[in-house]
Amino acid sequence: MKKSVTEKKHTMLGEIWRRFKKNRQAVIGLIVLILFILIAVFAPVVAPYGYDDQDASRAMMRPCTDYPFGTDNLGRDVMSRLIYGSRYSLSIGFLAVGISVITGGFLGIIAAYYPKLDNIIMRTMDLFMAIPQMLLAMCIVSALGPNLFNLMLAVGLSSTPKFARVVRASVLSTREQEFVEAARAIGASNTRIILRHIIPNSMAPLIVQATLAMAGAVISASALSFLGFGVAPPMPEWGAMLSAGRKYIRQAPYLTVIPGLAIMAIVYALNVVGDGLRDCLDPRLKK
Amino acid sequence: MAEKILDVKDLEIRYVTDEETVKAVNGISFTLEKGESIGLVGETGAGKTTTALGILRLVPDPPGEIVGGSIEFKGRQLLDLTEKEMRQIRGGQISMIFQDPMTSLNPVMTVGEQIAEVVLLHNKISKAEARKKAMEMLEQVGIPGERCDEYPHQFSGGMKQRVVIAIALACSPELLIADEPTTALDVTIQAQVLELMRKLKQEYNTSLILITHDLGVVAKICDKVAVVYAGEVIESGTLKDIYTDKRHPYTIGLFDSLPDIENDSESLKVIQGMVPDPSNLPDGCKFHPRCPHATEACKTGVMPSIQVSETHMVRCNRFSAEV
Repeated sequence: MKKSVTEKKHTMLGEIWRRFKKNRQAVIGLIVLILFILIAVFAPVVAPYGYDDQDASRAMMRPCTDYPFGTDNLGRDVMSRLIYGSRYSLSIGFLAVGISVITGGFLGIIAAYYPKLDNIIMRTMDLFMAIPQMLLAMCIVSALGPNLFNLMLAVGLSSTPKFARVVRASVLSTREQEFVEAARAIGASNTRIILRHIIPNSMAPLIVQATLAMAGAVISASALSFLGFGVAPPMPEWGAMLSAGRKYIRQAPYLTVIPGLAIMAIVYALNVVGDGLRDCLDPRLKK
Repeated sequence: MAEKILDVKDLEIRYVTDEETVKAVNGISFTLEKGESIGLVGETGAGKTTTALGILRLVPDPPGEIVGGSIEFKGRQLLDLTEKEMRQIRGGQISMIFQDPMTSLNPVMTVGEQIAEVVLLHNKISKAEARKKAMEMLEQVGIPGERCDEYPHQFSGGMKQRVVIAIALACSPELLIADEPTTALDVTIQAQVLELMRKLKQEYNTSLILITHDLGVVAKICDKVAVVYAGEVIESGTLKDIYTDKRHPYTIGLFDSLPDIENDSESLKVIQGMVPDPSNLPDGCKFHPRCPHATEACKTGVMPSIQVSETHMVRCNRFSAEV
């Protein structure tokens, strides 16, 4: 009797992982993502050269055994720059989304839980949604000045309204659940109900939205860097590399193609992981 | 000798929306002594649950509001307390069991955590002690204590209702409100859960308000019965008063509609008509459109409350002549 009790014990996380594993594409995406993260963390170890080691004698070399991805116009190794660049691209992806999760999540929860503030908050969000996201991000960066942190802030803040909507919708449905009323009936305060009962039960759509938005954030950051709003040289952000290589696209197409492929790979990985998460977190698909 | 624990007087609760005003509770009164249990019986939509929520001041506002009356709990006027004082009472001195155990537990917290939560909210003790208390409570309701780290989805419906009862009783409340605690369970489990509630009620000497439409459940657990119709108590008394000497045509109809195992009749007896729309209640006796004994006098005015005996009250014109 007791044995069967312990055997049945499996945590929610274990259950989610079991379902995630079934989606092969998502697992591949996760492996790619982990690979990118490892490369970013161990960049100085992995990279064959420094990201700003210049050598005019070896400028504009085509991909060869010494320089697998070739060199750029200043003779810097593209592969090393790409490896260091993953640090910026990934941290922009994670931190920008972190900013939107926190701001959007907070606003969404407040709007859903306190009906009096709902209209004020959500109509303001609608207002921001009317402005194209890229334009909004550009405005924020140009107002604050172009650097790495402001780039993250701009990308993060410009996608806040989307997060606020997702979180609000999810909290609205959780709020009506009987266990929330039960929590109130045992004397829990509003703060406690929100933190302990509502947030953990409304997070699934937010997690999915966050992984998908991360891909968007990497692209936005690259696009902003491409336009010159992002990271300043010699920092090897992928979008900035793409932008710098544009001038030599006829002589050295690899200068634009390779960073482009890197962006594509990470965005693809994030997207399939996001899709996989959505599938395994959706309670309606539970078997 | 018995101490009065709850005194609800002329409680009136409305749901006000832009289109209409729903009069859910229209002057319900009843009292409850320590250790006593009362059954609120009535059809769906009669205002039983709203009354219960009103006692805990949990009527969703907006659209609900308590318009009048008084709720005295151990001599304190609950309607005058601040929200903070009210939180002390909820779960600590008055707790509630909800109808559906499937949804009244938080799916992402272990049952142990959920029992410990109410203990921690109302007692100054450490987390380890609260956990110990949670395990004790689980044992009390007949669940092995080591299952306290499991999640609600790992329990069956009856087990979940036991957990809900454990949560409700964890702080030894003086009043327990059970809102149709067995409606969502199948009959064998119902009997177990009712037996458990009765046992624990005696052990903790808790007063109980049992909301149900199952007259059999009332007979099993309650000392007193109040029959609620359209937000009013139309008849109340001890179990004996109501079961053997029922007076109000509605109560009689309610008992008549119970299927009888001995008489093998073709169709079930029903009370004619429908529960009145609470946003558009009839004048006079709220039951008169459906009442077989209705007279002209029933269509206007307030029905008198008639004390048939010391404990037995009925609200009907037919008996005014008798007293």
